[in-house]
Amino acid sequence: MWLTSKLRQILMVLRAGVVTLKYPFEPRPVPEGFRGAPVWDHHKCIGCGGCADHCPARSILIRDVCQELRVMLYDGSRCTYCGRCADVCPEKAIRMSEAYELACDRREDVTTRLELFMLTCQRCGRCYEMENKNAIDRLSLKGFRYDNLERRALVRTSTERLSPELLKKTDH
Amino acid sequence: MSTLTTSLNILAFLGLSPLFEAIIRKVSARVQARQGPPLVQPYLDLLKLLGRENIDSAGTWPFRLAPLIALASILTVVAVLPLAGRESAFTAQADTITLVYLLTLGGVSVLLGAFASRNPYALIGASREMITMILVEPVLAMVLLLGALKAGSLDLMSALYGAIRPGYGIAVVVMLAVYLLGLQAFVARQPFDIAEAEVEILGGPFIEYSGPNFALFKYYLMIKQMFYAYLPVAIFVPLPRSGFYGVDLLVQLALTGLVFILIGLLAATHPRFRIDQAIRYYAVLFVLAVLALGLSLSGF
Amino acid sequence: MKEQLQERLRHHCTAEGLTLDRADPRQWFVDGPRERVRDFAAAMVTEGARYVVSMGYDEIARNGTLGLVHSFAFDREGLFLHFRTNAPAADPSFESITPDIPNAGWSEREYMDLLGLKFSGHPKPKRLVLADDWPEGIYPLRKEVPHDLVPPAAEDVAYQLEQGPPGTTTIPIGPYHPCLHEPEHFAVYVDGETIKGCDYRGFMTHRGIEKLCTTAVSYNEVPYIAERICGICGTVHATAYSQAVERAAGIRIPRRAEFIRTMMLEIERIHSHLLWLGVAGHLIGFDTVFMQAWRVREQIMWLCERLTGNRKTYGMVQIGGVRRDVTPEIREDILGVIGQVEKELLVIRKAIQNDSSIHRRTKGVGTLSHEEAVRWSLVGPVARARGVDIDVRRDHPYAAYDEVRFEVPVFTGCDAWSTLQVRMIETFEAIRIIRQVLEKMPGGPILFEFQDPIAPGLHAMSAVEAPRGESTHYIITGENNRAERWRVRAPTYPNLQAVPLMLLDEQFADFPIIVGSIDPCFSCTDRVGVVNARSGGYSVMTRFELEALGRRKGESV
Repeated sequence: MWLTSKLRQILMVLRAGVVTLKYPFEPRPVPEGFRGAPVWDHHKCIGCGGCADHCPARSILIRDVCQELRVMLYDGSRCTYCGRCADVCPEKAIRMSEAYELACDRREDVTTRLELFMLTCQRCGRCYEMENKNAIDRLSLKGFRYDNLERRALVRTSTERLSPELLKKTDH
Repeated sequence: MSTLTTSLNILAFLGLSPLFEAIIRKVSARVQARQGPPLVQPYLDLLKLLGRENIDSAGTWPFRLAPLIALASILTVVAVLPLAGRESAFTAQADTITLVYLLTLGGVSVLLGAFASRNPYALIGASREMITMILVEPVLAMVLLLGALKAGSLDLMSALYGAIRPGYGIAVVVMLAVYLLGLQAFVARQPFDIAEAEVEILGGPFIEYSGPNFALFKYYLMIKQMFYAYLPVAIFVPLPRSGFYGVDLLVQLALTGLVFILIGLLAATHPRFRIDQAIRYYAVLFVLAVLALGLSLSGF
Repeated sequence: MKEQLQERLRHHCTAEGLTLDRADPRQWFVDGPRERVRDFAAAMVTEGARYVVSMGYDEIARNGTLGLVHSFAFDREGLFLHFRTNAPAADPSFESITPDIPNAGWSEREYMDLLGLKFSGHPKPKRLVLADDWPEGIYPLRKEVPHDLVPPAAEDVAYQLEQGPPGTTTIPIGPYHPCLHEPEHFAVYVDGETIKGCDYRGFMTHRGIEKLCTTAVSYNEVPYIAERICGICGTVHATAYSQAVERAAGIRIPRRAEFIRTMMLEIERIHSHLLWLGVAGHLIGFDTVFMQAWRVREQIMWLCERLTGNRKTYGMVQIGGVRRDVTPEIREDILGVIGQVEKELLVIRKAIQNDSSIHRRTKGVGTLSHEEAVRWSLVGPVARARGVDIDVRRDHPYAAYDEVRFEVPVFTGCDAWSTLQVRMIETFEAIRIIRQVLEKMPGGPILFEFQDPIAPGLHAMSAVEAPRGESTHYIITGENNRAERWRVRAPTYPNLQAVPLMLLDEQFADFPIIVGSIDPCFSCTDRVGVVNARSGGYSVMTRFELEALGRRKGESV
C-alpha cells in the first residue's frame, strides 16, 4: 500500500516534469480577449460618462470643470478589470488591453486622465447649469458630475443624513 | 597536520552544508514540478539573515546565548569527527559518549532558546522537540555503539569505522535499516518535522528568532543535517582507502550528497506525522536498534 | 410526498392563523406575528426542515418596523419556506430560535449588531460582526446610516474571549496564521496536545458589500461586486445574485445562457476542489500534493483566461444572461482541457487514494456524527461526508441542472478523509456535467436585456451549490434601480459554526486539517456589515504598546 503509493507518486512527478516558468524573464503571453488594464482612445471618446456610471468599483470619475471642459479620470489602483466600461462604451473608445504587470509605487502611473472638450447644446445652449448652485445641488441635474478628483472620490450626498449628534453621543 | 585536518573538517562542514540544503530544496522542487531556487540560495539566505536586525524579543541571556551554544556544540562535534578516516587534532580527546553528549547539547540549547522565548508556539515546539530527543537520541547512541562494541572501544575511530570492519553481519544490516528509517527523524524533515511544523506552530522553537541569531540556528540545523547524512556513509559504507585522502573525502562527500537526495525525496513524498504517531514509530525504531545490538553481541 | 408536506404546511398555517403566499411553487412565504417565531421554527424542525439562514431588514421608512425572515429548506420536496415577521422599531425584540436551532446563533447575533434587533433567550449574545470599537447604538444596516460612515476609532476596546476550561493553555491561532488564509482568530484551549475547546472571533474582513450594493450601485453592477465576495466561488455569488433578481422580477433568461452558467459553475467547482486538495495537502505537510494539484488546476485557470478574459473572477454572469458566448473553437478547447484534467486527476487520485501516510492524518480526524451534522444544518461536502444527502443542484434545480445527470457522492466516514473523497468524486462529476452541457447546449441569444424597471418590495431567494456547499442570496427589490436589501449566506457560515465541535478532543496538530476540511472561506462569511474595516485589538499587546515598542526599537537603532 505505502510503497505502491510512493512509487505512483514518483511516477506522477516524473511524468509532470517542471512546469513553472522563470517568470519575469519568460512572461506568458496573454490570450485573445484578455481583460487587462483598460485603455481610452481620446479621439473616439465623446464624454458621455457611461463608463463612469457603470463602473462597479467606481474608479472612473468625471468632473465638469466648466461648460466646455469635462475631465475624466480613471484610477487604476481600484480597478477590478471587469471590463464593464468597455462593454457599455457606445463608441468603442475603451479597449481592454493586454497589460497585466501593473504593480507600481505611484498611483499616477496607473491613472488615465482625459480632458474633453464638450460641445454646447445647439438647442438650449446649456446642458449643465453652472451658475447659482453649489456642487451638491448640481448633482441632481441630469448628466452633471462633480466628483472629487483630488481625493479620488465620488461626490455623494449620503453622509448628510446621519445626525452628527448621534455620532458624538456614541463616541468612546 | 592534525590541526590542519581539524580546520578542514570545520571548513568543509561550514562551506558545504548550505549546498546540501540546496540539494534538498532542488530535489523537492523537482518532485513538485517547480524550478526551485538556485543552488546558492541557502548561502544567500544566511547572508541576508546575518545582515538583518537582531530582535531580542525575550530580552534574557538564555535567549541570546542559545544559538551560540547550538552552533558551538555542533562545530565541536565536527571538529572531533574523523572525517574520511583521518583523525583530527581532537579526535583522541573525545569518544562516543562525548559525541552523543555534544549532539544532545545542541538540542538542549534549542529547547533553552524556545523556553526562554516564552511564546506559546515555541513551547509546543519545545515539548515536541523534547519528546523527539528523548526517543531518538538513544537510537543514535545505539548506532554508534554498534561499532564500539565490535571494536571493543568507545573511541570515535572505532565507533565510526569499526562496525563493518569484520564484514556485514545481520546486526549491521538491521542497524542500517534502523538508521535509514530514522533518517528523517534525525534531520527533522518530513514526516518528522513535527517540532517545527510550519502550518501548525510556525517554526516552533525558532518562532521568536530573527536576524543573525536565527542565522546561527539555521546554520546549526544545516550542519547537524549534514552530520547525520554523513554518519551512515562513514559507518555503513567502507572507506575507499585509495591512498589519497582527498579522493576518500570526495567519495564520502558524494555519497553524503546521495543521502541528501534520499532525504529530499522522502521529505517531499510524505505528510507530517502527528507527535503521537511519531512516538509509536520511534518506539519501533528503538526496539529494532536494541535488537541489532543484541544480535551484534551474540556475534551475528 | 411533496403534496402531503404542502398539505401539512397549509394546515399548519391556517390553524395558527398565518398568511401563506404560494405564488412561487418553489418558495413559499409565511407572514406571522413575532410571538410565533419560536413555535413556528420548532414546528418546521419537527417537520424535517433544514434551517437555512435568517435575515433582518429595515422597513422603518415604510411602516416603522424592522423585519426578520427565517428561511427553511425542505430538500426532499424541493421547497424553501420563509417565515417573515416584524417588530416596531421602538421595541425590536424577538424570541431567539437558537436554543432549538444552534445554527441560527450567528444570524441572530449578526442582526443584533447590524440592525439593533434583540433576541431574548440567545445563549451567547455577544458582538459578532462589527469591529470592537464600533460605537454602540449605530446600526449600519439601518437605512439612516450612510454607507461611507467612518466613526471615530477607539484604542482601548478588545473582544473578551471566553475563558478556557480549567487546566488548559490558550493557544492563539490567528488573526494571522499560515493555516488560515484569511484573518480570523481562534483561541484554542489545549491540554498538552489535546484540544479541549475553542472560541472564535472572526468577521475581520468586512467590506460592507451588502450595504454598498444597496446604496451606491445599481442592479447591473452588483454581479461584478458579488463575484468579489469570494476569491474562489465568484461565479456562484454572481449567479445566485442574478438569479435572485431574475426570480424577484420574473425575468426568464435564454436557455443558452443557463447552460453557459452551469458550465461556468462546474468549471469553478473543478478549480475549487483542486485548490482545496492542494491546500489540504499543504495543511498536513504534504507539499507535493499541494503543488501537483495546483499544477493541474493551472490548466483550468488558463482555460478560463481564454474563455472569459481572466484567470479568476470571470465576470461572465450578468442579470439576464451571460457576457461571452461559447464559440465552437472554445468548445473544443474546453473539451480538450477537461479531458486532460480528468486524466491527470486520475493519476493523482491513484497516487494518494491508498497512501497510508495520508490516511493516518485524515481518517478519524475532525469527526462529527451524522445527527450533529443534521442538527447544525451543515451543507455541502462537509454534510455529504457525514451521510447527509443534500445537494442544491439536485434538490432545488436552477440554471440547466434539471437537464444534466450526475451523482451526488455521499460518504458516512464523518471525517476529513470522507470530505476529501466527496470532493474528489464531485470533481469527476463536474467534468461529466460539463461534457453533457456542451453536448446539449441549445443555440440562441445569451442575454435578455430587460428594460422595464423592477417593482420595489418583491422578495426572492436563490440558492446555488457552491463548491463548499449551499450559497443563498435573499433579495428585496427596491427603488432607484437597486435592491433594498440583499443577504448573502455563504456555505462557510453554517459550517464554521460547527468547527468547535469538530475540534473537541482532537490533537492540536490536526487543527489545520480540521478547519481546512470544511474548506473555509472567511471572506464569504464576513461579507456584510460596515464599511470601515479597522483591525480590532485582539493581540495581547495594544496598539499603543506596540507603537511604543516600535519607537524604542527605532531609538536604539
